[in-house]
Amino acid sequence: MDSIYLVVIKRFIFFIALQGFIFNNFDLYGMYDPYICLVFILTFPTKINKITFMVLCFIFGFVLDLFSNSLGLNTIACLTVAFLRSYIIGFIFGSFYDPVGLKLIKNYISETSFSQKFLYVFSIILIHHFFLFTLESLNFNYFMLTIKKILITSILSMIFCYASILIMIKNEK
Amino acid sequence: MQKIIDFIIRKKDFVVYFILLSFSLVLTFNTNFYQKSKFIVFLNSIANDSKETLNKLNGYFVLKKINSDLIQENLFLKNKLEGVSKNANSDSIHNTTFYYQNAKVISNNLSYLKNYLVIDKGIKNGLSKEMGVISSTGIVGIINHSSLNYSSVMSVLNIETKINAKVKRSSYFGTLEWDGSSSEHLLLNDIPETADVKIGDSIITGGMSLIFPEGINIGVVSNLINQNKLTDDAYKTISENQKKKYLDLNFRENYLNIEVKLHTNLGSLNNVYVIESLNKVEFEKIKK
Repeated sequence: MDSIYLVVIKRFIFFIALQGFIFNNFDLYGMYDPYICLVFILTFPTKINKITFMVLCFIFGFVLDLFSNSLGLNTIACLTVAFLRSYIIGFIFGSFYDPVGLKLIKNYISETSFSQKFLYVFSIILIHHFFLFTLESLNFNYFMLTIKKILITSILSMIFCYASILIMIKNEK
Repeated sequence: MQKIIDFIIRKKDFVVYFILLSFSLVLTFNTNFYQKSKFIVFLNSIANDSKETLNKLNGYFVLKKINSDLIQENLFLKNKLEGVSKNANSDSIHNTTFYYQNAKVISNNLSYLKNYLVIDKGIKNGLSKEMGVISSTGIVGIINHSSLNYSSVMSVLNIETKINAKVKRSSYFGTLEWDGSSSEHLLLNDIPETADVKIGDSIITGGMSLIFPEGINIGVVSNLINQNKLTDDAYKTISENQKKKYLDLNFRENYLNIEVKLHTNLGSLNNVYVIESLNKVEFEKIKK
């Protein structure tokens, strides 16, 4: 059990540093940043119970906010995604998902179809970005702009998250 | 009672979620709490310290660009000085109303609708709320909150920032705002349609407030649409998409829609100057 928490803490620090120092300055077309930090939530071990998971994601979002001066926006988005993740996994993977957590993330990657994996990653990214950008503007004048931002950033995040999950898990023993 | 406790135990996920959610909502919407809580200020300074260290390292890679910027600025100032020494008789030079300090940008964000920068000087160096921040090429933003060692700056790329600006050639005043669509363009509002403005005109700060002195460069007019002149050639040439953009809710009758291209590239800021007004107290007094 100890080793799992060690892995989680390592990833926590790694993804905060990666997002805060490098990917926040990505600025594609001057304004779009990919959110690679979501890999932390996407690959969080299913073995750890949900309340611990939510509290960790809350802290994760909070630290991310400190690095990107966004006053609690990332906290809400990460927390909500953490809360909804078990429902999304259950919905997408169906009977393959076991809530007890005997299956590792590695199994989810090797033993499910591409469309399942794609849907899982994309739905979590979309929900995260939806909360992040709508809460940020909270104004109907910027409705179209927010939608455009959510879509473009989602596609960017999708590419980076999917690639980094594949790289990460291949190296994981 | 038993039932309530049972319910809470059964739905403990929901309960934890809503407790944490309400706490984060407080963080988001009560900015005072965020800025005054000692614990958060302490955590923030740790994040800023680590970013500062990394920025020092990063600085070596952009030395060439900083160097050329400084040479450009030096050249501009030298030319200006030449003009000043010629009319050395006027005493207006000795009567300084603005004091400049340099600062370094620690973190910068462009991906939100409300973007903030963090600079490495704070209350210790005499910075406080509502001081202007400029770079060597143009305006950057306004300080909205300072802690002991750091200040957060509301960037011009923030939908809540409003800056008084004017057209250099014809001296019409307007308000500069961001519509959130591009990190290179701002909108200049409140200029009447009868005003004499052309594409390519310089836009400078207006000097109506004590945040920025008059005449700091902002950008040039890159696009200009007069809503009432449908036969105008300029209107014919623009695309359908742009027409829609100007016909939406933001459109106000009898005013020009002016798009301003910024001189400053806000994505690659490094050194900035903070402007402190020395007459602020006096100004506030007479305004009352």
